[in-house]
Amino acid sequence: MASQSTTVSQPSLPVIFTTKTPYPIPAQKFMVPASWRRYQLSQLINKALDLPQVVPFDFIVRGEILRGNLAEWARERGEETVELEYIESVMPPRKMAALPHEDWTSSISCQVPGRFLTSSYDGAVRIFDYSQKLLCTAPIHTACTTSVCAVPSTTERASDGLLLATSSHDLTARLTRVGFPDSPSEKEEITQLASLHLHTAPLSSIDVDPSGTKLLTASWDTLLGIFDTTIPSVDEVAPDPLPARQKKRRRVEMTEVPKKVPLAVLRSHTARVSQARWREGGKGAVSVGFDSAVRVWDVEREICAHTVSASEKPFLALALLSAGEVGGGGVLAASADRAVTLYDLRAESVRAASATFAHMGGVPSSLATGSKETQFVSGGYDGVVRLWDVRSAGKEMASFKVWEGKGEGKVLSVDWREDVVGIAGEGGVEVWRITEQGS
Amino acid sequence: MEGGLEMESEDEAGEGGEDEGDDGEVDAWPEIDPASDTEEEGDEEDEGEDEEQDEEDEESSSSDSSSLHIFPKAKTVISSITGQPKKVYPEIEPDYDSDSSTEDAPNRVGNIPLHWYDDLPHVGYDIDGKKVLKPARGDELDKFLRTVEDPEAWTSAFDKNTQMDKPLTAEELDIIRRLERHENPDASYDPYTPTVEWFTGEGKQEIMPLSAGPEPKRRWVPSKWEKKKVMKIVRAIRQGRIVPSKPKSTAPQFYALWGDDAAAAAHAAPLPAPKPRLPTHAESYNPPAEYLPTADEKKAWEDAEPEDRERDFVPTQHPALRLVPAYDRFVQERFARQLDLYLAPRVQRVKLTRDPSALVPKLPAPSTLRPFPQHRALRFVHLDARVRALGVSPDGAWVASADERGDVCLWEVCVGREVRRWAFGSSIGALEWCPRTDVCFFVVSTEDALHFIVPPHLPPAVAVTTHDLLAPAELPPAPLGTAPAPAKWTSHSADADALLTVALPPGGGVPRCIAWHRRGDYLASVSSGEGPGGVWVHQVSRRHSQAPFKKVTGAVQCVRFHPVKPHFFVATQRYVRIYDLAEQKLLKTLLPGIRWISAMDVHPSGEHLIVGGYDRKLCWFDLGLSDKPYKVMRYHTRAIRSLAFHGTYPLFASASDDGALQLFHARVHADLMADPLIVPLKILRGHDVADGLGVLAVGWVPGKPWAVSAGADGGVVVWMH
Repeated sequence: MASQSTTVSQPSLPVIFTTKTPYPIPAQKFMVPASWRRYQLSQLINKALDLPQVVPFDFIVRGEILRGNLAEWARERGEETVELEYIESVMPPRKMAALPHEDWTSSISCQVPGRFLTSSYDGAVRIFDYSQKLLCTAPIHTACTTSVCAVPSTTERASDGLLLATSSHDLTARLTRVGFPDSPSEKEEITQLASLHLHTAPLSSIDVDPSGTKLLTASWDTLLGIFDTTIPSVDEVAPDPLPARQKKRRRVEMTEVPKKVPLAVLRSHTARVSQARWREGGKGAVSVGFDSAVRVWDVEREICAHTVSASEKPFLALALLSAGEVGGGGVLAASADRAVTLYDLRAESVRAASATFAHMGGVPSSLATGSKETQFVSGGYDGVVRLWDVRSAGKEMASFKVWEGKGEGKVLSVDWREDVVGIAGEGGVEVWRITEQGS
Repeated sequence: MEGGLEMESEDEAGEGGEDEGDDGEVDAWPEIDPASDTEEEGDEEDEGEDEEQDEEDEESSSSDSSSLHIFPKAKTVISSITGQPKKVYPEIEPDYDSDSSTEDAPNRVGNIPLHWYDDLPHVGYDIDGKKVLKPARGDELDKFLRTVEDPEAWTSAFDKNTQMDKPLTAEELDIIRRLERHENPDASYDPYTPTVEWFTGEGKQEIMPLSAGPEPKRRWVPSKWEKKKVMKIVRAIRQGRIVPSKPKSTAPQFYALWGDDAAAAAHAAPLPAPKPRLPTHAESYNPPAEYLPTADEKKAWEDAEPEDRERDFVPTQHPALRLVPAYDRFVQERFARQLDLYLAPRVQRVKLTRDPSALVPKLPAPSTLRPFPQHRALRFVHLDARVRALGVSPDGAWVASADERGDVCLWEVCVGREVRRWAFGSSIGALEWCPRTDVCFFVVSTEDALHFIVPPHLPPAVAVTTHDLLAPAELPPAPLGTAPAPAKWTSHSADADALLTVALPPGGGVPRCIAWHRRGDYLASVSSGEGPGGVWVHQVSRRHSQAPFKKVTGAVQCVRFHPVKPHFFVATQRYVRIYDLAEQKLLKTLLPGIRWISAMDVHPSGEHLIVGGYDRKLCWFDLGLSDKPYKVMRYHTRAIRSLAFHGTYPLFASASDDGALQLFHARVHADLMADPLIVPLKILRGHDVADGLGVLAVGWVPGKPWAVSAGADGGVVVWMH
């Protein structure tokens, strides 16, 4: 830095630093050489604060993360004073493991500690542990299983195993209990508990609320169903009056499980619902669909509380930002026009879209938020997973390509828990690690 | 005169002599009698006669030599009035003889160089256009003998006009003789006439002087004004204002004739005055009644200020033109006009200022016409086979694509994961989904057969309805009074590939085109084989097939049902025919001007039709307008393979062998007077050209601005907006 400052001929730019991190520096104008890059700026902050341990920072200028030097940025924008917001930097994501699958995997869930749940197009749900060992293969559905989630158990008994909720193209969602044996020699116990009957078209997603008592299903038939997780003893659905021969035979093949009916049906969408998720606390739900609408549901009153209607944006996926200071509990929705849009649900106005994250590569098909309230990952059909910060809408923080060397593999699902990002798609499942330097 | 008599080598002298003679005669001073100077009348007469004589002389001299007489002999007679002698010339007879131009000269070629006829046997033409032959001329011996024998031979001269020798007359000889002696050729000229002393001679003395005044001084004093003028010039020369040997002009001798002339621009032509307005009906002396102001209008006109009036006169009606009074505003109007001309700035208007870009039709920018497919979202691959047909399900969720090896794949539009595959083992020509929503199945065509395939994972209600439709428990009764249909309908068990198969009469080949009626009960198929057996219309509910056409001229390429009316579009190789199925007659024949039609699609409104051909042309027909295309577009570089209108969005796409998919915005107005707006939007490239084949089929996802295209490289691509 000292050598930089001695070169007098170099032009310098006035810079103002702001931050929301716990490392603030006094708001004043710094004259900074225009050739400085992120590294020098980060060093400057560290020196100014005299931190005991070096914390790398990233710098955001006008909603775009700073790559290259300040002079390039100032030349492109033609501005005099540069306002830099600095955030803690993210290390480049590292690939941790690859979990091979024979068929395409449609979804992954990392929410169970130490486990990866994957659902595949062959209808099976597979459970891996963190040592990449396949614990269990549960052939639950005869058609593609579109999503899987683990119902948090209300009773704290490990011997109960996992209660899985799956949704499928065979028009049903199922509750399945997988009991893990005590000794590895025994076979795991897979019990199909209930089949959730409402939809007349393939289901696109299922989600369980944090308390583990309610399930939310979304389907192509524009409906959302709310089910509880209690296991019925008898069929709640009237026996099928259809005497079709081949239907009967096919149903006989499947294991007979009690059929459940929904607690409530939410109908407001006019086209396929692509994903639905519970909001924090389980009081409400958010769904997105092909009718370019983001709907916020009041589940208790079974009404649509708020609707954000976009124009010609068939939404494919949904993620909820935690209600922090920056994200504000917004909804991220990925649409087929290659953009992820952040909708601020607090805004009552029509213009609720607060930021748009353009994916030039391909259609973003899946979104996931982690523990960081301002960051999310998006996976696209171009096989690239991007890490975004909501403050930097112009450029992603980091991006990496999965299934390197296997051609074009679509990412169909991402999930993020703590520093583990699970990516499922055409080429199987990959697990990556995203860490911050400071933590 | 030259053409007349030619004196040998002496014509110059002869002419000179004649001229002199003329002068002498005209002047005629010696001949004037001293006593006749007071006789003006006689003088005048003399002069007049002289002139006449002069004319006569010229005329006669220009004629041939046979009538040549130089001067008419004048007689001197005693005037009966004055008693003095005077010359009297013979009277000129105004007959044909007197006019030399009408004399009977044999050669009428006119005054031309006669050496032109030197090499010809004739010397010219007579008045009747006959050749005047050259007279025979003797050789030198004859000429010599003639000079010896004929005493007149040496006084004859050669007449070129007649090509013969003519003896000279006595007058001519006399003239020659005089000329030889250097005398005046006129015999009557006397060079030695006595001097007449006009003012001092005998009897002619001036009694009274002309002026009695003394001679003025200026007659012998040098002129003062002349001296001034001369001195002015001398001073100018001394001061150098007049340079003696000054070059005449400083203008350059050579200059650019067509160059830019600045001097001309400085004196531009004055601008034309603006033309006054032409009178209208209101200015007429007898205007029609609607131009006459009512009393209120007239009062309003009178109350208004002159500047506020719309027109500066009141239309007035006069029953006859003769009752029109004098124009009372003539002076004011002239004055205003002069003021206008004087004060109004005149703008020189350039007549033709046409911007070339103004000729380009104003089309909206494609960015304003969103949404339309813009990028390749998914690619589904058939391995090692050309994908010939594709269909998107009516709910927009599934795509069925069929390749040449006979594999039919069903996959999700949004994910591209194959859900089910059916293998037929032979090439598949066409694939269409049934447009009904209460049932769900699609039809594929193989060799001489149509297969009805039900996709998996249907809702129970739809599955049962579909099954009951395609494989009913009891078959509907065969239609009465008709021969057993040649097509066989066979239902299979649910485990088979196809739930229903329609076997067409053999020999028809692979049906290349399947078109569903809007209601989903009828479908038409076109077999690739020749002959009238190509077109079949099948009714699913009655399980009945029939061939609607007894005889078809030309190979049918494509058929479509009208979306609203009971009309049927049949595209043969060159024409598109529209039939009314209810009345069973031909409604219209469209002439696309395409050499070989490959594809056709009907707009969802049924009012428009697009036709594409192997010769790269894409024709848009407005069926309400004409049987000629409303618009012909030739944007593809290779043959067009497939066309498709979007069901709800104003979009259509054309697929071509150049590997590109072209998207058009086609806005159709409900107003019949408004023309459809067709805007080229985008060219989507993503298919490889394999064996000269590019994109073979294109379809739209219902309800979404997404296109699906199938290529010869085995790829099926979903294009999203």
